[in-house]
Amino acid sequence: MKDIADQEVIDIDDMDVEAFNDLATQQGWSDGLPLYVPTEDKVAKFVEMVRGDNRPYPPVPPRQVVPTIQALAANAVMAGCKPEYFPVVTAALRGVLDPEYNLHGTLATTHPCAPMVMVSGPIRKELNINCGSNCFGQGWQANATIGRALGLMLLNVAGAKPGEMDRSTQGNPAKFTFCFGENEEENPWTPYHVRRGFAPTDNVVTVMSGEAPHNLNDHGSTTGDGLLTTFANSMATPGANTIYGKGPCFVIIGPEHAATLARDGYTIESIQEELYKRSRVHASRISQENQDTYISTGHKPEGDWFTIVPTPQDIHVTVAGGPGKHSAFIPSFGGTTVACVRIA
Amino acid sequence: MRIYNPTFGLSAAGGEKIALKPVNWMTDAIALVSNSKPNARELLDGIRTKLGAVRAVTNIDFLAKNSASQPAPKDLLEKVAANYRGALLAIAD
Repeated sequence: MKDIADQEVIDIDDMDVEAFNDLATQQGWSDGLPLYVPTEDKVAKFVEMVRGDNRPYPPVPPRQVVPTIQALAANAVMAGCKPEYFPVVTAALRGVLDPEYNLHGTLATTHPCAPMVMVSGPIRKELNINCGSNCFGQGWQANATIGRALGLMLLNVAGAKPGEMDRSTQGNPAKFTFCFGENEEENPWTPYHVRRGFAPTDNVVTVMSGEAPHNLNDHGSTTGDGLLTTFANSMATPGANTIYGKGPCFVIIGPEHAATLARDGYTIESIQEELYKRSRVHASRISQENQDTYISTGHKPEGDWFTIVPTPQDIHVTVAGGPGKHSAFIPSFGGTTVACVRIA
Repeated sequence: MRIYNPTFGLSAAGGEKIALKPVNWMTDAIALVSNSKPNARELLDGIRTKLGAVRAVTNIDFLAKNSASQPAPKDLLEKVAANYRGALLAIAD
């Protein structure tokens, strides 16, 4: 077969799935899990789902090529998406292409960040995106394949090949897939996307370059104040990138914890303020060498305390998950933003 | 069987190539640009010291971007382009 790197459509011998996966691995197209074959007819079905969304895509860093919609669809097909998932995937791609997201930095870094994808709005139910029990985990085709499709786009279009352009020291299982739905139905506060200026009926994708979720286990506290004590002290980690890179984080509150906080009168804003104040890291927990590095690069402590994020508003709070006394802290890469995109 | 290439993309417009004048590494002004990672400055300092054995180093300067995780700001790139004939970047961790 001749060199296929510059061909949009490739003629290959008829082959079964196993042989296609061998080809894909040889070409560097695979994330290591089995792929579907991106045949012309399958790709056409996906392209049909975004007809009417004619906004051009900017060059995708680090590789700096402008993708065709067919190439993007090929990745979604390979990931195992249904065609109706494709507008969610393309919205997520537009999110990570926000210049403030810093796609080049997040893909090339040694930090183990992966694109977190959160879906809000009625489309969660239409596509059966899991917002409840095990929402970060396995078992839902939409969650598994939407996140995976974005990861394959970043591998194949952006060029984030592990060990080459993607220089992550240890990586992160979330690099395979990291997509979940906001649990709006059990959120006692305003849904996240509405707080970001969208209508409740809008379908919105929110992306952040984040670590895998860190569990916030609190079965004992029966008050909002007790929960925030646990959350904040678990967030106060000297090893978080945000302590010197700054940038945002997410706190995804489980519904039972959310109900307790709401019952005790906490609002999103007061939770942000309390977590910001209480999650500071005392200098005694940070090596002198690291303190010197932080200070030399402009990240000075407030007294003896290093804040975990720049401002209370950089702690993004919402609700997801099912029954149980767990929540999650998701630190970001640091030099990035939380981008929201309405699904076309 | 025909499939779509998942890596296919079009070259971005505006990538015009310009002819570069050759750099004389023995005499020209050189920027040593730190990526602001710990030890980057030490690595560049070692390079400057080694260069001092073979050439004058009074026109070899240290520069740094202000964040390891962010791209170099435009004003820094313009400063390097305006004042130096070559630049070395420290890829350090």
